[in-house]
Parts: sequence; structure tokens; C-alpha cells
Amino acid sequence: MTTRPNGLPMVVGALCVGLLLAPGMAVAQNADIARDWDGHPDLNGVWQAIGTANWDIQDHPASAGPVDTGAIGSIPPGQGVVVGNEIPYRPEALAQKQQNFENRWTDDPEIKCFMPGVPRATYMPYPFRIIQGDKKIMMIYGFAEANRTVHMDKENPEPAPIDTWMGRSHGEWDGDTLVIDAAGFNGQSWFDRAGNYASYNLHVTERYTPMGPNAILYEATIEDDTVFTEPWTIRLPLYRRLEENAQVLEYKCVEFSEDLIYGHLRKEPTR
Amino acid sequence: MNRTRIRHTLVMATASLIATPATALAADYHHVHVTASNATEAVKWYSQYMDCLPLADRDDGVECGGAQVVFDSRPSLGTSQRTGIDHISFSYADLTAKMADLEAVGVRGSGVRLQRFEDGSTLRDVPGLFKYGFVFDPWGTRIEMVEDADTLGFHHIHLSATDPAATLGWYQQMFGGESARLRDRLDGVLLGDIWLLAMRHEAGTPASTAGRAIDHIAFSVDNLDDAAAEMRRNGVEFLEGPAVPEGGRTSARLAVIAGPDNVSLAVVEAGFAGVVTELSAADITTDLQPYTVPRTPWGTPDFQGVWTGDAAHGIPLERPRDLADVAVLTPEQAAARRERGTLGSIWGYESEWRDTTLGYVKSAPSRQVAMVIDPPDGRIPPMTPRGQELRAAARAARRPLAEGPEDLSSWVRCITRSLVQTPGVYNNGLQIVQGPGHVAMQVEMLHETRVIPTDPRPHLGSDISSWRGDARGHWEGDILVVDITNFNGRAPFQGSSDTLTMTERYTRTGPDTLEYQFTIDDPTVWTRPWTGKFTYVKDDTQYELVEYACHEGNYGMTNILSGARSREAEESR
Repeated sequence: MTTRPNGLPMVVGALCVGLLLAPGMAVAQNADIARDWDGHPDLNGVWQAIGTANWDIQDHPASAGPVDTGAIGSIPPGQGVVVGNEIPYRPEALAQKQQNFENRWTDDPEIKCFMPGVPRATYMPYPFRIIQGDKKIMMIYGFAEANRTVHMDKENPEPAPIDTWMGRSHGEWDGDTLVIDAAGFNGQSWFDRAGNYASYNLHVTERYTPMGPNAILYEATIEDDTVFTEPWTIRLPLYRRLEENAQVLEYKCVEFSEDLIYGHLRKEPTR
Repeated sequence: MNRTRIRHTLVMATASLIATPATALAADYHHVHVTASNATEAVKWYSQYMDCLPLADRDDGVECGGAQVVFDSRPSLGTSQRTGIDHISFSYADLTAKMADLEAVGVRGSGVRLQRFEDGSTLRDVPGLFKYGFVFDPWGTRIEMVEDADTLGFHHIHLSATDPAATLGWYQQMFGGESARLRDRLDGVLLGDIWLLAMRHEAGTPASTAGRAIDHIAFSVDNLDDAAAEMRRNGVEFLEGPAVPEGGRTSARLAVIAGPDNVSLAVVEAGFAGVVTELSAADITTDLQPYTVPRTPWGTPDFQGVWTGDAAHGIPLERPRDLADVAVLTPEQAAARRERGTLGSIWGYESEWRDTTLGYVKSAPSRQVAMVIDPPDGRIPPMTPRGQELRAAARAARRPLAEGPEDLSSWVRCITRSLVQTPGVYNNGLQIVQGPGHVAMQVEMLHETRVIPTDPRPHLGSDISSWRGDARGHWEGDILVVDITNFNGRAPFQGSSDTLTMTERYTRTGPDTLEYQFTIDDPTVWTRPWTGKFTYVKDDTQYELVEYACHEGNYGMTNILSGARSREAEESR
């Protein structure tokens, strides 16, 4: 386990936000947003990203899909969510990303119903629920039963006991922004279906800032010296699902991945 | 308060009148029968908090402003809510003061549970009707507290009916009484000065009252033979008797009949004075805990933290035959049982894998004999013929060598472990996180997190079925009650099907104990619902749930399937 100096990631995250907030997305007037018992923004609810970031976090044109399902299976164009659009890969890491892209229809963890990791879980095309308690915050995602506990009650972030898909998260409030320090990842997650990836040295600093009662500005600063030459940031809004009956449904995708993973081991092989 | 008993004429249906001359029969309200784990404690509770008086002639009932409430010493199958008898009601001259008293008492942790309205208050005032609020007794009976100066003391029995008008008509025809409107607002039948009211049942058919917190309503008649004959002529279904019940205090007889909306009704003859029951061996609850459940900042009971089922590891689901009369194990027996469960050969796992041998388990082994507490013999009730067919079909479909993942259990496939998280040799963690309106329960094994809304909202449409079903929770005093429906039936528990509905009750019984009770109700498979329980123990200091990435590392599946293919290749050689 790599130990990281506490505090440093927070400073980096804050600087990025300061630089990047200028045009575009307005952050809430404080009076507009729901507040919890302590006066912090109340983020309880069902949220979802809109867009094509799960296809590719960078700008991308429309393209053909993997199978012959006509236009249904094609990939829509999209504007990226990476601030500045460029991801500062180290040269050898860029080669790996390109290899991932080539093999994406078998190697993407998503196709195998593996947990998506952070930040990808946030902008997959499924809703997720935030349960904001007074000790912990839980985020329950709509894919692969992924969930994470954000420890709000630890004086100092503790190193993750073991590397995991969803990592270990510690949170604190910076004014009206929920800042989450997430690390302890296993290095097997991708950022998208285009093969963007990080290693187990990944360290994500997330900022959730209310933009009003029904939107959150989500920013994730990505640091990973093994793969990238410098920190970079993902930035997109999350929208509240306003349906009265909005609910994150049980979506157990394991059985839909079994043929892909075990089809060759069936009595009647399917692959 | 004195109440005049009025004899009611049993009015026969017209068809019967043509066939048989009507016989004048008189039926009186006799008592409401409440299931409480311990009748002695219940008598104390109703005397102390509901201003009832212990009955002079028997030790298992109280008189509450003219009407009797009688208690049965056996574990309740759950709250009265959602059965055909939603609640009973008492009326007080100054309800504001009464509720304030109860709230103060509740804070001291006596087992008085106040139901809060959405704004956090416990009392509502409906102009033109009266003030009202709800409390629960410690065993799940819902009690409406009203301020109705016209009728103090026992006030009403509130039925929950698929067709309220028809149900009230049935009672009036069967037991007499007068059709009337309470405060010109609520349709009812007035039996003497006890109101029988009926609300429309929210969804589906009301659950059977049998074994629930309000088990039945009893009426008395002078001549049970005549009454029974008349009721038979009217097509009433008899569930028991007429007969002198086992343990009857007198030789007076009792019959139990099926009322509308799955309500059990008892009809007793003069002189009936209940039965003497022994405390069930399966019942080891300590009913009244001197413990105040902590609250979240937004006012609900606070169950948050990390709990483990480790203490309950080794408790068999069903009561072993040789322990039929044992109330609880001795500490030595409990330790020996856990030792067997830990060190014995389980799936070939080495002892180093197990939390107990690794020293992770901090809680003492539970002394509970079996998980099943109802039926009281601790055995799962008999299966229906259809249930037996389904079980036989499932067994017949098993293959010695898995042809594909579908031949293996949902646990082996890393889809879901079990509808009841029966504790095992490791990873028995349960993390609860709450926010306003929701409770999240994260089960360590297979990293499933169930989100339970506690705000009122209907279940998902019936076409949305899933492995673990659709959970809806509500607070009954300090108890979290979770109703689960919409199962796809593909992860059966003990043979359950897709018609299963499950009710879970979580009760924080002490600073470090969380009692988990589960009721399995699947009429396709079993002849009656059954209930089990075990207790989670809090372990916030050294236990943390670690991500159980099961499917992501399911080499077991690869090995099982490739092993099966190798075996086939060998056999075909």
C-alpha cells in the first residue's frame, strides 16, 4: 500500500476547481439548495449523469457498434467530460490504452459485469442513490451491485486495508462542497468503454457541489504517476431524477456475462 | 367505567330464513385476543400504560374501560398492521396529556413505541372528529389513542377490509349491533358502545390475523350449539371446534370461525375463561428491555453501524428433535455447537479460512436453540402438495456435473447468497447506513446493498421482479419493519417460490444487539407462514466490511465447469 501525505490531494483538487470554474457551469446560490440537520447540503436522492461519457470520456465522433444491430448498436457522438479534452498519458500507458481500445469488446470490465470503479460508476448510464447519514454516506449504483461507503466520521483518512474495485473513500465538507478522497483501487477498472484506464496507484479527489436543488457539479481529479504525467480532471453535472417513484433497481448483470466468460466451458460450448 | 352489555340478535341471511325458521341467538363482544410473548408482562404493560385493570378471575387479561383484552403467551408473527384487524383503540379524556406521559415514558425505555406522523408529531387533531395518535405495544399490536368524550375507555376495533361496507354488513348480520356513523364521518357497527370500524385495505388481500399481534376477536353466545348450527347454515367456515379447548380453565366451549378478510373470530359460550398456556420453549425474548434506542438527527431510531451475525453462527434453522423441550442452550452447549460448526468439515474449508479460528469473532455464541420460532415447535410447517411437487422437480433437475452456470446455485454464481443471511463461517458483516427516508443495508457476502425506503410509497409494478425483491420499510415505534415482494423466485429460500412475500423486523434490543426476525409467507409452498430470528451483535471497533468482489474473482466457477468437462472426457474414454 502506497501511503500518501494527507492533505496534499485536497489541495490539488481545490486548485483545479479554482482554475476551472470560470465559464459554463454555475454553482448554486446557497439559499436554493436543501440542507441537512447540520446545515450541509442535503445530497440525498437519486442522481444520474446524462451524456456519452461511459462510451468515451473524451470527445468522440459517432461510430459503428460491435454487433450487427443496426443503428441501435451504434455509438453516439459525444463531447468529452475531460477538462481540456487531453489525458496526459505516459507514452507506454497510451499504448496500453490503445490496446484496451482494440480489445474493448472482450476486455472492458463492464462487459463482464465487473464493478465499475471510481469515477466511472458516477457517469454510467444508470441512476445511483446517495444516502447521506450523519456518520457515513453511501452511494448505491445501478450497475453490478456496486456501492461505496464514504467515511465522514474518521479523523484522518485510513489507508485501505486491501485494494478493491471501488476503493476506499473518506469525505469532508469544504463549504457547500462534499470532497471525497478515494484511493486503494485495484487498477483493473477502466474509465470508459474506450479503454481509458488507471493503475492501482490511482487517487481520485471528487468534489460534489450543488448547482441548485436538482443538479450537482461533479468534478474528479485523477492522479496516477504510473499512468499519467500530471493530474487531470473530469467534470460534468449530475441531475436529480425527479420522478416521484425514482428508485435504483436491482440490476444483477452477472448472468448476462456468463456466456462471455464461461461459454467455452459449457457442455455445449457457446463460444 | 361501566358498560352495559347489550345482547345482539344474530340476524340470519335471507336465504337461511327461507330454509329454516330464524332462531333468536344473542352474541356479545367478549374480548380481543392479543398475541404477546409473555402474558404476565402484557398485563403489566396494559395496566401501566393503557390504564387497563388486570382481570380478577384470570391472570392473562385486562379490562380496558369495559372491554376485555386477553393475551396469548407465544411469539407474535408480526404487527397487526396489514392484517384484517389493523388496530384497537382506547379513548382518553385528555389525550394531549396522555401522549405526553407516554412520550416521557418512552424516553425512559419502557417499550412504549409512539408512531410519528411525517412532521414528527405524535398527535393529530381532526376538527369535527377528535384528536388521535398511534402507539404500538411491545409485541406489535397497533393501538389508536383517541380523545372521544362520548366513549372513554375501549373505543373501537378497526378492521381493514377489501370491501369495508360488505365486511361491516357481514358483522352486523352475524353478530347484531347497530349500523351507525361515528361522528357522522366513519361508517361502523356499534356493538353496545364499542365501535367496529372498517377501512379499505391498501393493496391486495389482508394477511391472516392468526398468530399476528391481534389474533382474533371473540364474541360470546348463550348457546353455542344453536349458534354454530345457524352459522353453518349460513355457510360460515369453522376453523376449530366447537370444543373445550386444551388447557381450558372451565368446561365452556369455543369455536373459531373464518370472518371476512382473513380475520379469525372466536365464538365462546357462557363461562368461557380462556386457556392456561405454558410459555413456549422457543420463546427466549426478553420482552421489555430497559434500553432507549438512540435516534438519528432527523428523529428515527438509529440502527447505524457495523453488525455481525457471528454470534448466531451455528444456530440451526429448525429445532433439533432432541432439543424439543430445551428453552436455551447452556453456555457450554452453545460453545460446543459453534466449535462443531467451525472446526467440522465444511465444504473442505481449512480452519484458517474461518473468522472464528482467525480470532475475528468477538461475540459469545448465541444460546438460541433454533432460528424458527413459529410454528412454536421450531419446525418449518408442512409443504402444500404444490410445494412438494416444486421441491421434487427442483431435485430431479439437479445434475451431477454442471453443464453450465445455471446448474449451480445463485451463491456459487455470485449473484446473491440467500434471502436470509444465515450466518456462516466468515464474512457475516452487516453495515447499516441511514439517511432521512431511507435505510441502506449492506451485506458483506456478495457486497449487496439493499436500499429500503421508509417513506410511504407503493411497491414496484408486479412485472418488475428481481432476485432479492422489492423492499418497503416503515417504523413501528422503534422497530423497522420491511415488507419484501416482487421476488423472481430464482434464489429460493428453503424452497420458496415467486409468490413469496417476506416480512423482516429489526429491533434494537440493547446497545449492541439487533434482533432480526423474518417471516416467510409463500402460500404456494407452505401451509402457513413461518418465522425465524437471530441476533446481530454490534462490532464498530474492529470490524469493517471489505468489498466482497465475488463474481470478479469467481475462479471457482471456471474450475467447477472445467472440472466437469474433464470428468466427462474421462468418462467417455
